[in-house]
Amino acid sequence: MDTQSVTTESEENPLLEGLGLRRMPEPCILAIFGATGDLTRRKIFPALYALAVRKLLPEHFAILGISRTDQSSQEFVAHMEEAVREFGRDEFSPSVWDELASRTRYVGTDYTDESEKDKLTTCLTEMDEEFETRGNRVYYLAVPPAAMPILVEGLGPRRTTTGWVRLIVEKPFGRDLASARELNQLLQQHFTEDEIFRIDHYLGKETVQNMLALRFANGIFEPIWNRQFIDHVQITVAESIGIGSRAGYYEHAGAIRDIFQNHLLQLVALTAMEPPTDFTAESVRNEKVKVLKALVTPGPKSVVRGQYGPGFIEGEPVPGYRQEQDVAPDSNTETYVAAKLYVDNWRWADTPFYVRTGKRLPRRETTIAIQFKRAPHPPFEDLTELRPNVLFAHIQPNEGVALGIGAKVPGEGMRVRTVHMEFLYGGAFRVELPEAYERLILDTMLGDPTLFTRADEIEEQWAIVDAIVAFWAREKPMFPNYAAGTWGPPGAMELVEWHR
Amino acid sequence: MASVAHLEGWSSESATIAQIEEALLELRFHTGHGGLPDLRTNVLTHMAWVPAEWQRAATETLAGLGERHPSRTLLLFPRSGAEDRLEARVSLECHELEGEARHLCNEIVELGFCGTRAEAPGSIVEPLLLPNLPVFLRWRGRPPFRTTPFQELVELTDRLIVDSAEWPDLPGAYSELEEFFEETAVSDIAWRRTLPWRAALAEAWPEVPDRIAGPLAEASLIGGWLKSRAGLEVDVEWVDELPVTDEKSASDLLSEELDAFGRDPIYEESVRAAAATA
Repeated sequence: MDTQSVTTESEENPLLEGLGLRRMPEPCILAIFGATGDLTRRKIFPALYALAVRKLLPEHFAILGISRTDQSSQEFVAHMEEAVREFGRDEFSPSVWDELASRTRYVGTDYTDESEKDKLTTCLTEMDEEFETRGNRVYYLAVPPAAMPILVEGLGPRRTTTGWVRLIVEKPFGRDLASARELNQLLQQHFTEDEIFRIDHYLGKETVQNMLALRFANGIFEPIWNRQFIDHVQITVAESIGIGSRAGYYEHAGAIRDIFQNHLLQLVALTAMEPPTDFTAESVRNEKVKVLKALVTPGPKSVVRGQYGPGFIEGEPVPGYRQEQDVAPDSNTETYVAAKLYVDNWRWADTPFYVRTGKRLPRRETTIAIQFKRAPHPPFEDLTELRPNVLFAHIQPNEGVALGIGAKVPGEGMRVRTVHMEFLYGGAFRVELPEAYERLILDTMLGDPTLFTRADEIEEQWAIVDAIVAFWAREKPMFPNYAAGTWGPPGAMELVEWHR
Repeated sequence: MASVAHLEGWSSESATIAQIEEALLELRFHTGHGGLPDLRTNVLTHMAWVPAEWQRAATETLAGLGERHPSRTLLLFPRSGAEDRLEARVSLECHELEGEARHLCNEIVELGFCGTRAEAPGSIVEPLLLPNLPVFLRWRGRPPFRTTPFQELVELTDRLIVDSAEWPDLPGAYSELEEFFEETAVSDIAWRRTLPWRAALAEAWPEVPDRIAGPLAEASLIGGWLKSRAGLEVDVEWVDELPVTDEKSASDLLSEELDAFGRDPIYEESVRAAAATA
């Protein structure tokens, strides 16, 4: 067929508009440090496979797995295939996998001496040529905190001159304010803030983002989203599982560093933040930081810690924390934290935010419950069955929103009781929710940091944790203080009567 | 895919709106496993006007939609020539929800407009629309644009969905369609089918063929699109096959239209340009 070559004054392509084409990431190499770790196996590779199934990866794309383990690329690919088959959310497609596998390489190195660093640089340069990735790099640091500095100091001076570089940094981001600052400074010596993507995978969850839709897309909530109408807020991140094989990490982190410092405080920020002027990364993160800055440091009476003892989960006996594999028999690591927080600003003054997280609680649940003040003067005699209105945002499981309202019980008289109006996320949107890591890896490749944590957010979070850990250090806890399968230590119940 | 259960509700050969509403209410109390009421999350009312010759295709497309758009579906069957009456059948299509004892149920109301009822369907349909949710009208076949039934239903509709490939008189019929652009948002499944073709042409830009070949509706729209977007005149040849396709089913194509909101100015400009060639 003959063609005509169109000459236009503008370089823009008029045929592109309205095609609804998704923005595709530019060509790049994703280099994963810690490629033989659990995170790569359970989350990163299944997420990459899901992106490949949906044709969301760039045409010119490659993956380089990097770890100390000595193995060939073929062996690495075989391990990752097993991981995708086990943890992927899509049916396994050999053709999709073969395409992804053909773009995957592995290099074994401990990255400690200069020759190893140069070897890796050479490998990446060769892959650039082979896959036409133009020198663009995403470095995924899925490694323990101790390994970060050596990687950052090695990668910084070896950045390519031709393409862009982005760095995904996994949690834990430091273990206190000083180490977080040190890590931020180190990162910022070699990379600009818009090149650093600190992952808190909670922000990649659809239902966490739905909190923003719930608040800012619905005119009915925002006018009453303040101290005048809200009695208090409860945020729960409960897990029924124990620590599994993570004792090495968990013994040093505990619940306060594992969940409270990041996920819980992010949920507080999303619940309490002011409406951003737009949905750009800076606007959203500016508003979250304002909340974190306004958080009053809680005193010892406002924080309860706990550690589970033996108990029952779903009828099965489970050991206590101190009996878990590789845990010290006299460990004082907390597996539960509850706190009463105040956001000291105009909107939230004197409105408590009760937050709690724990392991071996009766069920897995992440919920934000907004409890409204009672009607000032209900003109009915029998109000014994009427509870205050509560808006529940269920992050997981049973993703959705429910509102508890008072309704008349049919029959004589005027008995009022609480009923639930329920919106089930999966009922309205009949598509499987993407995994958080899919969204976050794609956003990194696109250079969109909206759902990542900024340096100042991290530091504000650690400042609160440091204050709590400081007064904990002065007193030896009486652990264990709650049985597995219960809702935590009795002291937590005294903070607030938790709604179950 | 989750399993589907069809629950017959009520039917009548001479129904009233009150009876249909009562039957719908009755079905609301249907309980699934565990004695809990099933869920009714609705995101839209989906109407389909289905003349007899399109009945089979419409039913198959609806079945293929499955659980993708929780909605109340109103299937409207004009039966001119018969005695004046309204036939009705009300049923539920219930889908399993992962991890839930309850089902998610869609209401399906089939209405047979017999005799003169087919001439003024608006007053029958309006009470059955879900309040405060968008209404999509899929019109099967060539719409009789200037007739009362069509205009009444379009007035109730947020988005009219047609497939101009079902029309025998193209591209002339596009000039009648464009008159409705100010009244309701219009989707054309033929336009949706051209998406891979348009993407391929956009990718080749600024190289553009001077001749295109495809089925009448799709090729007319592509010709109109090139004219309106880039001021290009191309020769259009009619052949049966699309040159580029992603081979989506009729249900997939309709499903995509049910996710679209608002007007599509690029489609509208393409239709105007295609009509101008008639």
